[in-house]
Amino acid sequence: MKSSTICKEWLDSLPPTQGYLKNEQSIGREFLLEKGMPSKKDEAWRLSNFNKLNSFLSLPTIIDSEDIKSEFKSIFPEKDENRERIIINPNKNPILNINLPNGIEKLSNREIEENLGQIVKSTNIKNDISVCLNQLTSLELLALKVKRNFNHSLEIVIPSIEEKSISTRIFLLIEEGAKLDLLQIFIGNNNSAQNHLIEIKLESKVELTHGLISLGEEKDSSSICTLAVEQSEKSKYSLHSIHHGWDYARFEPRIIQSKGEASTMIKGLQVTKSKEQIATHSLIRFEGPNGKLDQLQKAVASEHSHCIFNGSIEVPQKAQKTEASQLSRNLLLSKRARIDTKPELEIVADDVRCTHGATVSQLQDEELFYLLSRGIDNKHANSLLLKGYYDEVISSFPKSAKKWNFIEKLIQDIKK
Amino acid sequence: MTQSNTVEEIVSKPYKYGFITEIETEKIPKGLNEDVIRLISAKKNEPNFLLEFRLRAYEQWLKMKEPDWSGLNYSKVDYQDLVYYAAPKQDIKKKSLDEVDPKLLETFEKLGIPLSEQKRLSNVAVDAVFDSVSIATTYKEKLAEHGVIFCSISEAISEYPDLIEKYIGTVVPINDNFFAALNSAVFSDGSFVYIPKGVECPMELSSYFRINSGDTGQFERTLIIAEESSSVSYLEGCTAPMFDTNTLHAAVVELVALDNASIKYSTVQNWYAGNEEGVGGIYNFVTKRGECRGNRSKISWSQVETGSAITWKYPSCVLQGDNSIGEFYSIALTNNCQKADTGTKMIHIGKNTKSKIVSKGISAGQSKNSYRGLVSISPNAEGSRNYSQCDSMLIGDKASANTYPYIQSKQPQSNIEHEASTCRISEDQLFYLQSRGIDFEESVSMLISGFCSDVFNELPLEFASEADKLLALKLEGSVG
Amino acid sequence: MISSTSETILSIEDLHATVEDQEILHGVNLVVKEGEIHAIMGRNGSGKSTLSKVIAGHPSYKVLSGSIQFKGKDILELEPEERARIGIFLGFQYPVEIPGVSNLEFLRVATNSRRKELLKSELDTFEFEDLVKERLKIVEMDPAFLERSVNEGFSGGEKKRNEILQMALLEPIISILDETDSGLDIDALRIVASGINKLSQPNSATILITHYQRLLNEITPDFVHIMADGKIIKTGNKELAIDLEKSGYDFIDKDTKEKEMAK
Repeated sequence: MKSSTICKEWLDSLPPTQGYLKNEQSIGREFLLEKGMPSKKDEAWRLSNFNKLNSFLSLPTIIDSEDIKSEFKSIFPEKDENRERIIINPNKNPILNINLPNGIEKLSNREIEENLGQIVKSTNIKNDISVCLNQLTSLELLALKVKRNFNHSLEIVIPSIEEKSISTRIFLLIEEGAKLDLLQIFIGNNNSAQNHLIEIKLESKVELTHGLISLGEEKDSSSICTLAVEQSEKSKYSLHSIHHGWDYARFEPRIIQSKGEASTMIKGLQVTKSKEQIATHSLIRFEGPNGKLDQLQKAVASEHSHCIFNGSIEVPQKAQKTEASQLSRNLLLSKRARIDTKPELEIVADDVRCTHGATVSQLQDEELFYLLSRGIDNKHANSLLLKGYYDEVISSFPKSAKKWNFIEKLIQDIKK
Repeated sequence: MTQSNTVEEIVSKPYKYGFITEIETEKIPKGLNEDVIRLISAKKNEPNFLLEFRLRAYEQWLKMKEPDWSGLNYSKVDYQDLVYYAAPKQDIKKKSLDEVDPKLLETFEKLGIPLSEQKRLSNVAVDAVFDSVSIATTYKEKLAEHGVIFCSISEAISEYPDLIEKYIGTVVPINDNFFAALNSAVFSDGSFVYIPKGVECPMELSSYFRINSGDTGQFERTLIIAEESSSVSYLEGCTAPMFDTNTLHAAVVELVALDNASIKYSTVQNWYAGNEEGVGGIYNFVTKRGECRGNRSKISWSQVETGSAITWKYPSCVLQGDNSIGEFYSIALTNNCQKADTGTKMIHIGKNTKSKIVSKGISAGQSKNSYRGLVSISPNAEGSRNYSQCDSMLIGDKASANTYPYIQSKQPQSNIEHEASTCRISEDQLFYLQSRGIDFEESVSMLISGFCSDVFNELPLEFASEADKLLALKLEGSVG
Repeated sequence: MISSTSETILSIEDLHATVEDQEILHGVNLVVKEGEIHAIMGRNGSGKSTLSKVIAGHPSYKVLSGSIQFKGKDILELEPEERARIGIFLGFQYPVEIPGVSNLEFLRVATNSRRKELLKSELDTFEFEDLVKERLKIVEMDPAFLERSVNEGFSGGEKKRNEILQMALLEPIISILDETDSGLDIDALRIVASGINKLSQPNSATILITHYQRLLNEITPDFVHIMADGKIIKTGNKELAIDLEKSGYDFIDKDTKEKEMAK
């Protein structure tokens, strides 16, 4: 996919977009023509499996409305009473079932104009191909506003379509003092691809709990998701993410504390098996003083799979008294699997407390032996230990998330 | 922040090795081409294999691009405007020190490295390198009694060509990187150490590198071979005069440790760092690598890096032999506009290999101090372990400290642990020391030494106090 | 030990001080003479610790007005190390850990800087080791602590003993011991208290800052001051401490209210 002709061919095959996304598409187009596809020389893509990226791009992006089948809804677990569910068919008839609760409304045209793309722009990443791919392919926009001082629960489900590639673009504006408990679910399908670009703006004193359950499930499913979050002062953002079962997945959370004075918590888990590759590239930047970050990234790689974590933390001069901690914990369960982890700390402020750590190991033999010596068989002992390992991330999900049965899925396909 | 301001003042001190030795020097004309390489080789009476080695390297170098990956901007070196060979004018190397130009001896004495028999350091053998050539090596005879060879690499090339041919370029291949290729093509001198089987080297070996000419690139080459069950501790020191221009220093160091052998390699690097505005100073682009070829072998790097305008340096260990051990202990202190990008690579290939990394970075002024390292565990390195600790201390709010530890594992029966932290001099600790009557400067100095103590403990005894002094010197204020 | 001719060591007049822009001391007055032992008691937040930090010269505490004189000389302009050298010692409530800095080295440098001030010769490593071994006995401390980093990994009691050891080495003229008794078990308390008693000299003085009576059972104070809201509101003899122990701090509140009412 390197050569510019292929690039151009692919670009020309994309359906043109309308409205706000039209401008976005041309930005993406310009970017891709100028920079081309990433290569091994791009630090951020160095470890990416380019064959998988290419097959991601080879799936057709035009979809008929029938593609989203209504029976979909029936296979989803029943929704919580107090949690509204939005199911997205990204390309046509955008929102299959939307029932916005009181206090959540669609963004006005002016608000969209003012905000769309701004957060992603401020994250400012070199060769930002994930974003560009979404700009090129997203045809519809879901732009919502959570109104001042409301307290809500919302669920957004995005299923995939067999043999197709879908793209979604979401913008959430959360007004001052509001609380939102957001649960997002991405589900893969046979030979399918997903590409998401989510921008969230947290005004001051907002509390957002963001659960993201990303399950590939079927064969050859892939997903690229960029999440750009801007936090105003005194806001609290906690992100809990699980990525599992994708043949190829790339998750790029980027969080900017625009004036510092905010708190961010991230707990992420990625689990791979067979020949899967899942990567998380996170960026947290403090643009003001007194910011806090607590980040935990866990990964488990088995069989022939590959887990990647790349975590940037930037603390510029204006971000005095920042307290940031990042921990990357990895389990490598097979001789043919691979773990790559790279924390990146860039600090220019002297009055800060930043720590980071990384470990790569296997399940502890002593722990395993302890369980075995109590008469528990190997398989159970392993799954118990894994459950314990996952718990730090999983336990912070809202209860309603458990309906998606991800815990069982996470455990059942890991064999030591 | 009045506290950090004063701390900043303390870490700024004049460079005391900035003098120039007035001595007649033989230089070849500026510029680099095949003829220059032939000329260098001819001047040194080199055997043919080495000339070919140089020419192959030059050919590779021409095809390579100067790296710019670490985000360090610097004014590019004009490779045609450099002198590739400069030597103090004197007849061929003297047998006895009495015949060495007294100016040179004086220079080294001024640098704290007396070479004459009366004054020389006891229990440390020194090879003194001035610009492109080695001037003197002390204690050669005593070492020879144990079968230890310690001499300049030029001498080794003519005296022990077989050893050189067997080992040179086998740890750092000529095409390893841009600067290693350049060094392989034009290296002028450096040190050679050979420790025979079963011998524990009876004294510390030390090389002292001095750049004197402003337009001369320094390309030294060091090769250390520790045969089975031998051990050696080697240390190098470096200084240069103050010039407004940037001088290039692109050394290559290769270490080979065979079964049960152990090599400890320590560096105190205090090249001229440029002035407060960042004008002048040495570009220190160095390739250092050791191979633990033998089972149970061990290579340990320790470094105290305080000088140079820009440092790119990643002393690495390739742990091939089963149960081999690699270590890296580093202190990097940057001030003003200095940039240091340093760290290590620990490549675990053999079974049950172990590595340990302890890095302490201190950045003051507007300097940029980065730790960049790689720990890689390959599929066959069962039972391998790594522990890394990277701590940064920031002084003032314009200095930056970056940490980029790459970790890669393909072996489940292995453990990697990495920890890092960033801090500044704690006000409470400072007050505690002061409230016991210790003055501000000494308190700061004690706290910085304390921050670095894990690394100091790893330096050879003769050297630890020297390094501490160097750090204290760097921290010396107007008083005292 | 107190005689009418005793010289004044420390004299504090109408001291107002702030930390982080908040005024904590609202006019403290205190006079300490040679040979005296003073106890300052009061609730958390009454300003006791602040007073000790201000006397020692902590940079975070700013003096707004008033004066502190040591032997008739104003010390407010002195750096903390200068105050230490002339004989002002602060025993910290929470001695800070300093990893990597050898305890022995630290003690030696500190001792020598005090000796220099006293125009005594500096001690070399060997001489100092002899001195420190002798002084260790006062606090019944294991010499192994000398080999460790300053306070690093010390238990609460060990840290406090290390403080008293420093006092023994620096031979201060006035020692301000901030909650030296907190976190100590009975045995450790006894050792620390006997150390303080052994070290007291006719020409020196001690200020004990404490919450509880129990330290005062071991060391008998000549004066007991009660601090509240950044002022010394009551001064008495050791009976005052005993009253306080019995009836708690509430009686001060009552007392203050009555005073205010009287106004």
